[in-house]
Amino acid sequence: MNPWPRQARILGICWRAAVTGEMEYRFNFLANFALSAFWMLWAAAGASVYFRFTGTVAGWTQPEVLVVIGLFFALNGLRQALLQPNLERMTEYVRRGTLDFLLTKPFDAQLLVSLRHLKVNNLLDPILGLALTVVGVALSGRGVSAAALASFLLLLACAVLLMYALSVVLMALAVVLVAGEELGRVSFAFVELSRFPVEMYRNPAQAVLTVVPVAFLTTYPAAALLGRLDPYLLLLAPAVAAGAVVLATLLWRRSLRSYAGASA
Amino acid sequence: MRDVLPAYPSLVRSATLVAATYRGRIVLSLLTAFFPLLTMAVWLTVVAEGGPPDGWTTGDFLSYYAAATLLWNLTGDRVVWQWDADMRSGDLSVRLLRPVHPFHQYATSDLGQRLVFLVVLVPALILGAWLVPGLNYPADPLRLAAVAAALVLAYAVSLLMASTFALIGFWSTQTTNGWLLWWGLGSFASGWVAPLALMPDWLRTAGMVLPFRTTMGFPVELLMGRLDAHQTAYGFAVGLGWLAAFALLYRVAWRFGVRRYQAVAG
Repeated sequence: MNPWPRQARILGICWRAAVTGEMEYRFNFLANFALSAFWMLWAAAGASVYFRFTGTVAGWTQPEVLVVIGLFFALNGLRQALLQPNLERMTEYVRRGTLDFLLTKPFDAQLLVSLRHLKVNNLLDPILGLALTVVGVALSGRGVSAAALASFLLLLACAVLLMYALSVVLMALAVVLVAGEELGRVSFAFVELSRFPVEMYRNPAQAVLTVVPVAFLTTYPAAALLGRLDPYLLLLAPAVAAGAVVLATLLWRRSLRSYAGASA
Repeated sequence: MRDVLPAYPSLVRSATLVAATYRGRIVLSLLTAFFPLLTMAVWLTVVAEGGPPDGWTTGDFLSYYAAATLLWNLTGDRVVWQWDADMRSGDLSVRLLRPVHPFHQYATSDLGQRLVFLVVLVPALILGAWLVPGLNYPADPLRLAAVAAALVLAYAVSLLMASTFALIGFWSTQTTNGWLLWWGLGSFASGWVAPLALMPDWLRTAGMVLPFRTTMGFPVELLMGRLDAHQTAYGFAVGLGWLAAFALLYRVAWRFGVRRYQAVAG
């Protein structure tokens, strides 16, 4: 296969083209940015209803929940900017046989189908989300130690890797099921579940969401930032993320074996 | 309207058949069908830790959100995306040539898809009411008839509201964004973010006159037996009023909008 720097450079070119193309529609970009900001306020206001009646839910105070909502928003933006546009196209690739053509390109096909396109509209969501996270940390009145920040960054990187693995799994399923819209709902549901700390759902949902691994998306990174992470997760999270990427890659290769091609 | 009604059963049936063909897709779609139960889970945690907020017990939340799940799946707002896509691609031109007004084409197609969900959800709800202790609906025939009427009204208002909004597409390319903003604000007044009874007073008051409660909170509260005869009549009056208002708005917007339509493609 091709060396990594070259793959990264080509992806960089694709993304730059996407940004240039979509920035032609400046008003649309601004409207979407305003809508993103609105949804974030919506999420924060929606969560505040619980705190009309109680000071903490499952041990999380309102500012601490804001930290999680901010992370949720960041990851959800990543899903909309990267995962969704590629998944939408995948159904068409299979239906029209474009996938045949993509597979013959001198580029890693897995990277190409999962990361080739970029939707600029939600590109600023991660920044908005992280801003809310910072606000939440500040309001919680806890300081952030260097160790907490480092473990937060590690767990956040694991969360992003998990999202990538999910994206590849969905691509593999799209080859077999050819149902982009419905698979999009799966990714939506997966990320949406991470809107609140998993403890707030209590068992058995909490246990399920730890296994599924929704808890690794926002709950654990937030716990790390707030300095109350179980240290063993610093080892477990990278293992889970790496395992997910390996499994997803295997599934992708497996699905290609069953792909018959539609263009010939 | 009278001349299109005979076409409804077969148009709805064909949409149902199309939706039922892809069974794998139905299963995946059901994943998000139970979303209101997540909000419920958080409320149950609040009850378990701090006691019933404003007197709402675990049973109340179970009953509320089980019914809310039904309403969550009975909205007509998908037509906004359909209209938007067809106006952009020019597919609306083809629809304009058909003998049935596009509104009814989108409505029947959406209704057909909704029915597939109801076939799964209604038995699940009945089974839940029977199995889960605390999940209780007072089942007198008169109230159930009123609930059935409220469900039809909920769908009708949601569909007409969404269709009216979709016509903004004749003037602007930001219809779906505008709709999301509208829906997002409305979700605080509809009973979707939380039961209206648990909202601050000013929001509850606003919710009682806005159209959103008709599409979720009203039928749910009616099914739970929380509304007396007066409150029930009031709910129907608000819903029917908004139905008439949106029907009128739709007609006006259509008359002026369709003249502006320039088929993008053919």
